[in-house]
Amino acid sequence: MKTWVDTDLTSILMNKTVSYILAIFTIVAFVTIVILRSTSGFSLSSFTPYKSLIISGFFNTIYVSIVSLFGSLILGFVFYEFSISKSKYLIAFTDVFTEIIYGTPLLVLIVISAFVIGPAFNTYNRNLMGIAALIIYMTPYMKNVYKSAFSSITEEQYMAMDLFGFTPFQRYRYIIIPQVIRILMPPLMNNFSLIIKGSALLNVLSYNELYYAIRVAQSKTFDFVEGYLLMWVIYLVITIPLSQLTKYIERRWAL
Amino acid sequence: MKLELKNLSHSYDVEVLHDLNFKLDNYKSVAIIGVSGSGKSTLIRLLSGLEKPTTGELFVDGYAVQDEEYRRQVGFVFQNHNLFPHLTLKRNITLVLEKTRGIDKIKAEEIALKYLSLLHLEDQVDKIPKNVSGGQAQRASIARALSIDPDVIFLDEPTSSLDPILTHEVLTAIEELLELGKQFIFVTHVMSFVKDFADYVLYMDSGNITEHGTPDILDNPKTKELQGFMSRVR
Repeated sequence: MKTWVDTDLTSILMNKTVSYILAIFTIVAFVTIVILRSTSGFSLSSFTPYKSLIISGFFNTIYVSIVSLFGSLILGFVFYEFSISKSKYLIAFTDVFTEIIYGTPLLVLIVISAFVIGPAFNTYNRNLMGIAALIIYMTPYMKNVYKSAFSSITEEQYMAMDLFGFTPFQRYRYIIIPQVIRILMPPLMNNFSLIIKGSALLNVLSYNELYYAIRVAQSKTFDFVEGYLLMWVIYLVITIPLSQLTKYIERRWAL
Repeated sequence: MKLELKNLSHSYDVEVLHDLNFKLDNYKSVAIIGVSGSGKSTLIRLLSGLEKPTTGELFVDGYAVQDEEYRRQVGFVFQNHNLFPHLTLKRNITLVLEKTRGIDKIKAEEIALKYLSLLHLEDQVDKIPKNVSGGQAQRASIARALSIDPDVIFLDEPTSSLDPILTHEVLTAIEELLELGKQFIFVTHVMSFVKDFADYVLYMDSGNITEHGTPDILDNPKTKELQGFMSRVR
Protein backbone atom coordinates (compact mmCIF):
# COMPACT_ATOMS: atom_id res chain seq x y z
CA MET A 1 0.00 0.00 0.00
CA LYS A 2 1.26 3.42 -0.88
CA THR A 3 1.18 5.95 1.95
CA TRP A 4 1.87 9.65 1.80
CA VAL A 5 5.24 8.98 3.45
CA ASP A 6 6.40 6.88 0.47
CA THR A 7 5.28 9.44 -2.06
CA ASP A 8 6.95 12.20 -0.15
CA LEU A 9 10.23 10.33 0.19
CA THR A 10 10.28 9.46 -3.51
CA SER A 11 9.69 13.04 -4.55
CA ILE A 12 12.43 14.23 -2.21
CA LEU A 13 14.86 11.70 -3.70
CA MET A 14 13.90 12.80 -7.19
CA ASN A 15 14.79 16.40 -6.37
CA LYS A 16 18.04 17.26 -8.11
CA THR A 17 19.54 19.44 -5.38
CA VAL A 18 18.76 16.88 -2.70
CA SER A 19 20.31 14.17 -4.87
CA TYR A 20 23.53 16.15 -5.20
CA ILE A 21 23.69 16.85 -1.46
CA LEU A 22 23.20 13.13 -0.78
CA ALA A 23 25.89 12.20 -3.30
CA ILE A 24 28.37 14.60 -1.76
CA PHE A 25 27.44 13.34 1.70
CA THR A 26 28.18 9.76 0.59
CA ILE A 27 31.72 10.69 -0.39
CA VAL A 28 32.29 12.75 2.76
CA ALA A 29 30.98 9.88 4.89
CA PHE A 30 33.37 7.46 3.18
CA VAL A 31 36.34 9.75 3.77
CA THR A 32 35.33 10.26 7.43
CA ILE A 33 35.10 6.52 7.98
CA VAL A 34 38.54 6.04 6.45
CA ILE A 35 40.03 8.76 8.69
CA LEU A 36 38.32 7.41 11.82
CA ARG A 37 39.54 3.91 11.08
CA SER A 38 43.15 4.96 10.55
CA THR A 39 45.27 3.85 13.48
CA SER A 40 47.27 7.02 13.91
CA GLY A 41 45.53 10.19 15.04
CA PHE A 42 44.51 12.65 12.37
CA SER A 43 45.48 16.30 12.69
CA LEU A 44 46.38 18.99 10.22
CA SER A 45 47.77 21.27 12.90
CA SER A 46 51.37 20.30 12.18
CA PHE A 47 51.00 22.04 8.78
CA THR A 48 50.14 25.42 10.31
CA PRO A 49 53.75 26.74 10.24
CA TYR A 50 53.86 25.95 6.48
CA LYS A 51 50.67 27.83 5.68
CA SER A 52 52.32 30.55 3.63
CA LEU A 53 54.41 28.00 1.71
CA ILE A 54 51.29 26.01 0.84
CA ILE A 55 49.31 29.12 -0.07
CA SER A 56 52.02 30.29 -2.44
CA GLY A 57 52.10 26.74 -3.87
CA PHE A 58 48.36 26.94 -4.40
CA PHE A 59 48.61 30.23 -6.30
CA ASN A 60 51.60 29.04 -8.30
CA THR A 61 49.65 25.98 -9.42
CA ILE A 62 46.78 28.20 -10.52
CA TYR A 63 49.16 30.61 -12.24
CA VAL A 64 51.05 27.88 -14.11
CA SER A 65 47.81 26.16 -15.10
CA ILE A 66 46.25 29.33 -16.49
CA VAL A 67 49.38 30.29 -18.41
CA SER A 68 49.58 26.74 -19.80
CA LEU A 69 45.90 26.75 -20.66
CA PHE A 70 46.16 29.93 -22.72
CA GLY A 71 49.50 28.90 -24.19
CA SER A 72 48.17 25.56 -25.34
CA LEU A 73 44.90 27.10 -26.52
CA ILE A 74 46.86 29.41 -28.81
CA LEU A 75 49.46 26.87 -29.93
CA GLY A 76 46.73 24.24 -30.35
CA PHE A 77 44.83 26.61 -32.63
CA VAL A 78 47.99 27.26 -34.66
CA PHE A 79 48.48 23.51 -35.04
CA TYR A 80 44.82 23.08 -35.93
CA GLU A 81 45.29 25.67 -38.69
CA PHE A 82 48.43 23.77 -39.81
CA SER A 83 46.50 20.51 -39.94
CA ILE A 84 43.88 21.97 -42.29
CA SER A 85 46.31 24.08 -44.32
CA LYS A 86 47.16 23.51 -47.98
CA SER A 87 50.83 22.93 -47.21
CA LYS A 88 51.62 19.21 -47.18
CA TYR A 89 54.69 19.92 -45.04
CA LEU A 90 52.66 21.62 -42.30
CA ILE A 91 50.15 18.76 -42.27
CA ALA A 92 52.96 16.20 -42.06
CA PHE A 93 54.73 18.20 -39.35
CA THR A 94 51.54 18.35 -37.25
CA ASP A 95 51.11 14.58 -37.62
CA VAL A 96 54.69 13.76 -36.62
CA PHE A 97 54.59 16.21 -33.71
CA THR A 98 51.29 14.77 -32.48
CA GLU A 99 52.56 11.17 -32.63
CA ILE A 100 55.71 12.04 -30.70
CA ILE A 101 53.85 13.95 -27.98
CA TYR A 102 51.23 11.19 -27.62
CA GLY A 103 54.00 8.73 -26.88
CA THR A 104 55.96 10.97 -24.51
CA PRO A 105 55.38 10.93 -20.74
CA LEU A 106 54.92 14.49 -19.46
CA LEU A 107 57.62 13.95 -16.84
CA VAL A 108 60.15 13.07 -19.54
CA LEU A 109 59.16 16.10 -21.61
CA ILE A 110 59.56 18.43 -18.63
CA VAL A 111 62.98 17.06 -17.69
CA ILE A 112 64.27 17.10 -21.26
CA SER A 113 62.97 20.64 -21.86
CA ALA A 114 64.49 22.03 -18.69
CA PHE A 115 67.81 20.17 -18.64
CA VAL A 116 68.56 19.47 -22.33
CA ILE A 117 66.63 21.68 -24.75
CA GLY A 118 66.77 24.83 -22.61
CA PRO A 119 70.54 24.78 -22.01
CA ALA A 120 71.09 24.01 -25.73
CA PHE A 121 69.61 27.43 -26.43
CA ASN A 122 71.29 29.10 -23.44
CA THR A 123 68.11 29.12 -21.37
CA TYR A 124 68.69 28.08 -17.82
CA ASN A 125 65.30 29.28 -16.58
CA ARG A 126 63.96 25.86 -15.66
CA ASN A 127 60.55 27.09 -14.55
CA LEU A 128 60.02 28.75 -17.91
CA MET A 129 61.09 25.62 -19.78
CA GLY A 130 58.87 23.53 -17.51
CA ILE A 131 55.82 25.63 -18.36
CA ALA A 132 56.80 25.53 -22.04
CA ALA A 133 56.90 21.73 -21.79
CA LEU A 134 53.42 21.69 -20.27
CA ILE A 135 52.13 23.91 -23.09
CA ILE A 136 53.75 21.77 -25.78
CA TYR A 137 52.47 18.61 -24.17
CA MET A 138 48.88 19.89 -24.24
CA THR A 139 49.04 21.30 -27.78
CA PRO A 140 47.99 18.15 -29.71
CA TYR A 141 45.12 17.59 -27.30
CA MET A 142 43.95 21.17 -27.79
CA LYS A 143 44.32 20.76 -31.56
CA ASN A 144 41.95 17.80 -31.35
CA VAL A 145 39.44 19.80 -29.34
CA TYR A 146 39.32 22.38 -32.13
CA LYS A 147 39.22 19.71 -34.79
CA SER A 148 36.27 17.85 -33.35
CA ALA A 149 34.40 21.07 -32.65
CA PHE A 150 34.98 22.81 -35.98
CA SER A 151 34.26 19.70 -38.02
CA SER A 152 30.61 20.17 -37.07
CA ILE A 153 30.52 23.26 -39.33
CA THR A 154 29.56 22.04 -42.79
CA GLU A 155 31.47 22.78 -45.98
CA GLU A 156 28.38 24.61 -47.27
CA GLN A 157 28.45 27.03 -44.36
CA TYR A 158 32.03 27.94 -45.21
CA MET A 159 30.88 28.54 -48.79
CA ALA A 160 28.16 30.86 -47.54
CA MET A 161 30.71 32.72 -45.39
CA ASP A 162 32.99 33.06 -48.43
CA LEU A 163 30.14 34.24 -50.57
CA PHE A 164 29.10 37.06 -48.28
CA GLY A 165 32.71 37.99 -47.53
CA PHE A 166 32.87 37.55 -43.76
CA THR A 167 36.32 38.31 -42.33
CA PRO A 168 38.11 35.50 -40.45
CA PHE A 169 37.37 37.23 -37.15
CA GLN A 170 33.67 37.62 -37.95
CA ARG A 171 33.46 33.96 -38.99
CA TYR A 172 34.74 32.76 -35.65
CA ARG A 173 32.95 35.37 -33.57
CA TYR A 174 29.48 35.21 -35.06
CA ILE A 175 29.20 31.91 -36.87
CA ILE A 176 31.69 29.26 -35.82
CA ILE A 177 32.26 29.79 -32.07
CA PRO A 178 28.57 30.21 -31.13
CA GLN A 179 27.82 26.91 -32.85
CA VAL A 180 30.71 24.93 -31.40
CA ILE A 181 30.99 26.32 -27.86
CA ARG A 182 28.79 23.54 -26.49
CA ILE A 183 30.96 20.90 -28.16
CA LEU A 184 34.16 22.75 -27.27
CA MET A 185 33.67 23.26 -23.54
CA PRO A 186 33.58 19.71 -22.08
CA PRO A 187 36.82 18.47 -23.69
CA LEU A 188 38.41 21.83 -22.97
CA MET A 189 37.57 21.38 -19.30
CA ASN A 190 39.04 17.85 -19.38
CA ASN A 191 42.24 19.27 -20.80
CA PHE A 192 42.36 21.98 -18.17
CA SER A 193 42.07 19.33 -15.46
CA LEU A 194 44.93 17.47 -17.16
CA ILE A 195 47.00 20.65 -17.06
CA ILE A 196 46.28 21.33 -13.38
CA LYS A 197 47.16 17.79 -12.39
CA GLY A 198 50.08 17.70 -14.81
CA SER A 199 51.53 20.86 -13.27
CA ALA A 200 52.29 18.76 -10.17
CA LEU A 201 55.12 17.20 -12.17
CA LEU A 202 56.92 20.54 -12.23
CA ASN A 203 58.01 19.58 -8.70
CA VAL A 204 60.95 17.74 -10.31
CA LEU A 205 62.28 21.19 -11.24
CA SER A 206 61.84 22.29 -7.61
CA TYR A 207 59.20 24.71 -8.81
CA ASN A 208 57.11 25.71 -5.81
CA GLU A 209 53.69 24.59 -6.96
CA LEU A 210 51.15 22.91 -4.69
CA TYR A 211 52.56 19.38 -4.84
CA TYR A 212 56.10 20.56 -4.19
CA ALA A 213 55.02 22.87 -1.34
CA ILE A 214 53.21 20.10 0.47
CA ARG A 215 56.04 17.61 -0.11
CA VAL A 216 58.41 20.10 1.52
CA ALA A 217 56.06 20.51 4.47
CA GLN A 218 55.66 16.72 4.74
CA SER A 219 59.42 16.22 4.87
CA LYS A 220 59.51 18.43 7.95
CA THR A 221 56.33 17.30 9.75
CA PHE A 222 56.44 13.61 8.75
CA ASP A 223 52.61 13.72 8.53
CA PHE A 224 52.44 12.14 5.09
CA VAL A 225 48.83 10.94 5.13
CA GLU A 226 47.53 14.32 6.26
CA GLY A 227 49.67 16.05 3.66
CA TYR A 228 48.26 14.00 0.81
CA LEU A 229 44.69 14.47 2.06
CA LEU A 230 45.28 18.21 2.25
CA MET A 231 46.75 18.16 -1.26
CA TRP A 232 43.74 16.21 -2.56
CA VAL A 233 41.24 18.62 -1.06
CA ILE A 234 43.10 21.68 -2.39
CA TYR A 235 43.20 20.23 -5.94
CA LEU A 236 39.46 19.67 -5.71
CA VAL A 237 39.01 23.25 -4.50
CA ILE A 238 40.64 24.34 -7.77
CA THR A 239 39.01 21.93 -10.21
CA ILE A 240 35.41 21.79 -9.02
CA PRO A 241 34.65 25.56 -9.27
CA LEU A 242 36.30 25.52 -12.69
CA SER A 243 34.09 22.74 -13.88
CA GLN A 244 31.05 24.67 -12.61
CA LEU A 245 32.27 27.79 -14.39
CA THR A 246 32.60 25.82 -17.61
CA LYS A 247 29.03 24.62 -17.32
CA TYR A 248 27.90 28.19 -16.76
CA ILE A 249 29.77 29.45 -19.83
CA GLU A 250 28.35 26.59 -21.85
CA ARG A 251 24.80 27.61 -20.94
CA ARG A 252 25.49 31.29 -21.37
CA TRP A 253 27.11 31.02 -24.81
CA ALA A 254 25.05 28.28 -26.28
CA LEU A 255 22.50 28.98 -29.00
CA MET B 1 22.41 40.14 -68.84
CA LYS B 2 25.58 39.57 -70.75
CA LEU B 3 27.50 36.34 -70.35
CA GLU B 4 30.83 35.51 -71.86
CA LEU B 5 33.01 32.42 -71.45
CA LYS B 6 36.49 32.45 -72.95
CA ASN B 7 38.50 29.23 -73.32
CA LEU B 8 37.00 28.07 -70.04
CA SER B 9 38.23 24.76 -68.66
CA HIS B 10 37.91 23.44 -65.16
CA SER B 11 39.28 20.35 -63.44
CA TYR B 12 38.92 18.78 -60.05
CA ASP B 13 40.68 15.43 -60.35
CA VAL B 14 39.52 15.09 -63.94
CA GLU B 15 38.51 17.80 -66.36
CA VAL B 16 34.81 18.60 -65.95
CA LEU B 17 34.52 21.56 -68.33
CA HIS B 18 36.26 21.41 -71.69
CA ASP B 19 37.38 24.66 -73.29
CA LEU B 20 34.03 26.45 -73.36
CA ASN B 21 33.59 29.51 -75.53
CA PHE B 22 30.20 31.12 -75.38
CA LYS B 23 28.48 34.51 -75.60
CA LEU B 24 25.01 35.58 -74.60
CA ASP B 25 23.30 38.94 -74.53
CA ASN B 26 20.00 40.37 -73.37
CA TYR B 27 18.34 37.53 -71.51
CA LYS B 28 17.06 37.89 -67.97
CA SER B 29 16.66 34.34 -66.82
CA VAL B 30 19.03 31.64 -67.96
CA ALA B 31 18.52 27.97 -67.14
CA ILE B 32 21.35 25.44 -67.19
CA ILE B 33 20.11 21.88 -67.58
CA GLY B 34 21.71 18.49 -68.08
CA VAL B 35 22.26 15.16 -66.39
CA SER B 36 24.16 14.87 -63.11
CA GLY B 37 27.87 15.16 -63.70
CA SER B 38 27.48 17.16 -66.91
CA GLY B 39 29.27 20.15 -65.36
CA LYS B 40 26.26 22.41 -64.79
CA SER B 41 26.85 22.91 -61.07
CA THR B 42 30.51 23.63 -61.77
CA LEU B 43 29.55 26.20 -64.40
CA ILE B 44 27.16 28.03 -62.07
CA ARG B 45 29.75 28.09 -59.30
CA LEU B 46 32.34 29.51 -61.67
CA LEU B 47 29.88 32.10 -62.98
CA SER B 48 29.09 33.22 -59.44
CA GLY B 49 32.76 33.52 -58.53
CA LEU B 50 32.45 30.88 -55.80
CA GLU B 51 35.23 28.93 -57.47
CA LYS B 52 38.14 29.98 -59.65
CA PRO B 53 38.41 28.35 -63.09
CA THR B 54 41.49 26.25 -63.80
CA THR B 55 42.00 28.13 -67.07
CA GLY B 56 40.07 30.70 -69.08
CA GLU B 57 37.90 33.66 -68.20
CA LEU B 58 34.26 34.40 -67.43
CA PHE B 59 32.46 37.72 -67.71
CA VAL B 60 29.01 38.60 -66.42
CA ASP B 61 27.62 42.01 -67.37
CA GLY B 62 31.11 43.14 -68.25
CA TYR B 63 32.64 42.13 -64.91
CA ALA B 64 35.37 39.53 -64.65
CA VAL B 65 33.84 37.17 -62.13
CA GLN B 66 36.88 37.04 -59.85
CA ASP B 67 36.51 40.80 -59.40
CA GLU B 68 35.84 41.63 -55.71
CA GLU B 69 33.22 44.19 -56.72
CA TYR B 70 31.31 41.59 -58.73
CA ARG B 71 31.49 38.98 -55.99
CA ARG B 72 29.92 41.36 -53.50
CA GLN B 73 26.80 41.69 -55.60
CA VAL B 74 26.18 38.04 -56.28
CA GLY B 75 23.22 36.30 -54.70
CA PHE B 76 23.59 32.54 -54.45
CA VAL B 77 21.06 29.96 -53.34
CA PHE B 78 22.51 26.54 -52.61
CA GLN B 79 21.02 23.07 -53.02
CA ASN B 80 20.55 22.85 -49.28
CA HIS B 81 19.34 26.05 -47.69
CA ASN B 82 22.74 26.75 -46.12
CA LEU B 83 21.38 29.10 -43.50
CA PHE B 84 23.51 29.43 -40.38
CA PRO B 85 21.75 26.91 -38.13
CA HIS B 86 22.19 28.76 -34.83
CA LEU B 87 20.59 32.00 -36.03
CA THR B 88 16.94 32.86 -36.61
CA LEU B 89 15.79 33.41 -40.16
CA LYS B 90 15.83 37.16 -39.53
CA ARG B 91 19.29 37.14 -37.91
CA ASN B 92 20.65 35.12 -40.82
CA ILE B 93 19.90 38.16 -42.96
CA THR B 94 20.72 40.99 -40.54
CA LEU B 95 24.09 39.44 -39.61
CA VAL B 96 25.13 39.47 -43.27
CA LEU B 97 23.89 43.03 -43.80
CA GLU B 98 25.41 44.46 -40.61
CA LYS B 99 28.78 42.74 -40.71
CA THR B 100 29.60 42.48 -44.39
CA ARG B 101 27.65 45.39 -45.86
CA GLY B 102 27.98 47.88 -43.01
CA ILE B 103 24.25 48.52 -42.82
CA ASP B 104 23.02 49.73 -39.42
CA LYS B 105 20.88 47.55 -37.18
CA ILE B 106 17.52 49.23 -37.73
CA LYS B 107 17.86 49.42 -41.49
CA ALA B 108 19.11 45.81 -41.64
CA GLU B 109 16.09 44.61 -39.71
CA GLU B 110 13.79 46.53 -42.03
CA ILE B 111 15.39 44.96 -45.11
CA ALA B 112 15.29 41.48 -43.56
CA LEU B 113 11.58 41.76 -42.76
CA LYS B 114 10.85 43.13 -46.21
CA TYR B 115 12.39 40.17 -48.04
CA LEU B 116 11.12 37.57 -45.59
CA SER B 117 7.57 38.87 -46.12
CA LEU B 118 8.13 38.91 -49.85
CA LEU B 119 8.74 35.17 -49.54
CA HIS B 120 5.71 34.78 -47.23
CA LEU B 121 7.74 34.08 -44.12
CA GLU B 122 6.53 36.96 -41.94
CA ASP B 123 5.32 34.50 -39.29
CA GLN B 124 8.59 32.55 -39.14
CA VAL B 125 11.19 35.31 -38.76
CA ASP B 126 12.18 34.44 -35.20
CA LYS B 127 12.51 30.70 -35.73
CA ILE B 128 15.80 28.93 -36.29
CA PRO B 129 16.16 26.89 -39.50
CA LYS B 130 15.59 23.47 -37.95
CA ASN B 131 12.20 24.61 -36.65
CA VAL B 132 10.80 25.48 -40.08
CA SER B 133 10.08 23.24 -43.06
CA GLY B 134 12.67 22.60 -45.77
CA GLY B 135 10.68 24.77 -48.16
CA GLN B 136 10.49 27.64 -45.70
CA ALA B 137 14.22 27.40 -44.98
CA GLN B 138 14.96 27.44 -48.70
CA ARG B 139 12.74 30.49 -49.16
CA ALA B 140 14.54 32.20 -46.27
CA SER B 141 17.78 31.42 -48.01
CA ILE B 142 16.40 33.09 -51.16
CA ALA B 143 15.40 36.10 -49.03
CA ARG B 144 18.96 36.23 -47.69
CA ALA B 145 20.36 36.12 -51.21
CA LEU B 146 18.02 38.95 -52.25
CA SER B 147 18.73 41.09 -49.19
CA ILE B 148 22.15 42.18 -50.42
CA ASP B 149 20.40 43.58 -53.51
CA PRO B 150 22.31 41.48 -56.05
CA ASP B 151 22.24 42.14 -59.77
CA VAL B 152 22.23 38.46 -60.57
CA ILE B 153 20.83 35.64 -58.46
CA PHE B 154 22.26 32.17 -58.89
CA LEU B 155 20.16 29.18 -57.92
CA ASP B 156 21.93 25.82 -57.83
CA GLU B 157 19.21 23.15 -57.88
CA PRO B 158 17.29 25.01 -55.18
CA THR B 159 14.64 22.32 -54.87
CA SER B 160 16.66 19.13 -55.22
CA SER B 161 16.39 18.29 -51.54
CA LEU B 162 12.67 19.00 -51.30
CA ASP B 163 9.58 16.88 -51.88
CA PRO B 164 7.23 17.75 -54.78
CA ILE B 165 4.87 19.89 -52.69
CA LEU B 166 7.68 21.97 -51.15
CA THR B 167 9.33 22.16 -54.58
CA HIS B 168 6.19 23.71 -55.98
CA GLU B 169 6.01 26.13 -53.04
CA VAL B 170 9.61 27.32 -53.56
CA LEU B 171 9.37 27.57 -57.34
CA THR B 172 6.15 29.58 -57.13
CA ALA B 173 7.91 31.97 -54.76
CA ILE B 174 10.80 32.33 -57.21
CA GLU B 175 8.45 33.05 -60.12
CA GLU B 176 6.95 35.93 -58.15
CA LEU B 177 10.41 37.46 -57.92
CA LEU B 178 10.57 38.20 -61.65
CA GLU B 179 8.65 41.38 -60.89
CA LEU B 180 11.63 42.63 -58.88
CA GLY B 181 13.51 43.01 -62.14
CA LYS B 182 16.34 40.75 -61.03
CA GLN B 183 18.31 38.51 -63.34
CA PHE B 184 18.59 34.80 -62.71
CA ILE B 185 20.96 32.02 -63.64
CA PHE B 186 19.80 28.68 -62.36
CA VAL B 187 20.34 24.95 -62.48
CA THR B 188 17.31 22.72 -62.11
CA HIS B 189 15.86 19.35 -62.98
CA VAL B 190 12.29 20.62 -63.05
CA MET B 191 11.56 21.11 -66.77
CA SER B 192 8.16 22.77 -66.28
CA PHE B 193 9.92 25.44 -64.23
CA VAL B 194 12.47 25.96 -67.02
CA LYS B 195 9.67 26.44 -69.55
CA ASP B 196 7.78 28.89 -67.32
CA PHE B 197 10.64 30.86 -65.92
CA ALA B 198 13.67 30.80 -68.25
CA ASP B 199 14.05 32.89 -71.36
CA TYR B 200 17.22 31.08 -72.38
CA VAL B 201 18.40 27.50 -71.88
CA LEU B 202 21.86 25.97 -71.92
CA TYR B 203 21.95 22.20 -72.20
CA MET B 204 25.16 20.67 -70.93
CA ASP B 205 26.50 17.24 -71.65
CA SER B 206 29.87 15.82 -70.50
CA GLY B 207 31.42 19.21 -69.82
CA ASN B 208 30.25 20.92 -73.02
CA ILE B 209 27.37 23.26 -73.84
CA THR B 210 25.84 20.91 -76.38
CA GLU B 211 22.76 22.89 -77.26
CA HIS B 212 21.38 26.29 -76.33
CA GLY B 213 18.51 28.58 -77.24
CA THR B 214 15.12 29.81 -76.07
CA PRO B 215 13.05 27.27 -74.07
CA ASP B 216 11.50 26.08 -77.38
CA ILE B 217 14.56 23.86 -77.81
CA LEU B 218 13.12 21.62 -75.11
CA ASP B 219 10.18 20.80 -77.38
CA ASN B 220 12.23 20.60 -80.56
CA PRO B 221 15.71 19.42 -79.59
CA LYS B 222 18.17 19.35 -82.46
CA THR B 223 21.05 17.37 -80.99
CA LYS B 224 20.57 13.73 -80.17
CA GLU B 225 21.97 14.33 -76.67
CA LEU B 226 19.18 16.78 -75.79
CA GLN B 227 16.64 14.53 -77.53
CA GLY B 228 17.78 11.69 -75.34
CA PHE B 229 17.72 13.87 -72.21
CA MET B 230 14.21 15.16 -72.90
CA SER B 231 12.86 11.67 -73.59
CA ARG B 232 14.20 10.58 -70.21
CA VAL B 233 13.00 13.52 -68.11
CA ARG B 234 9.49 13.45 -69.46
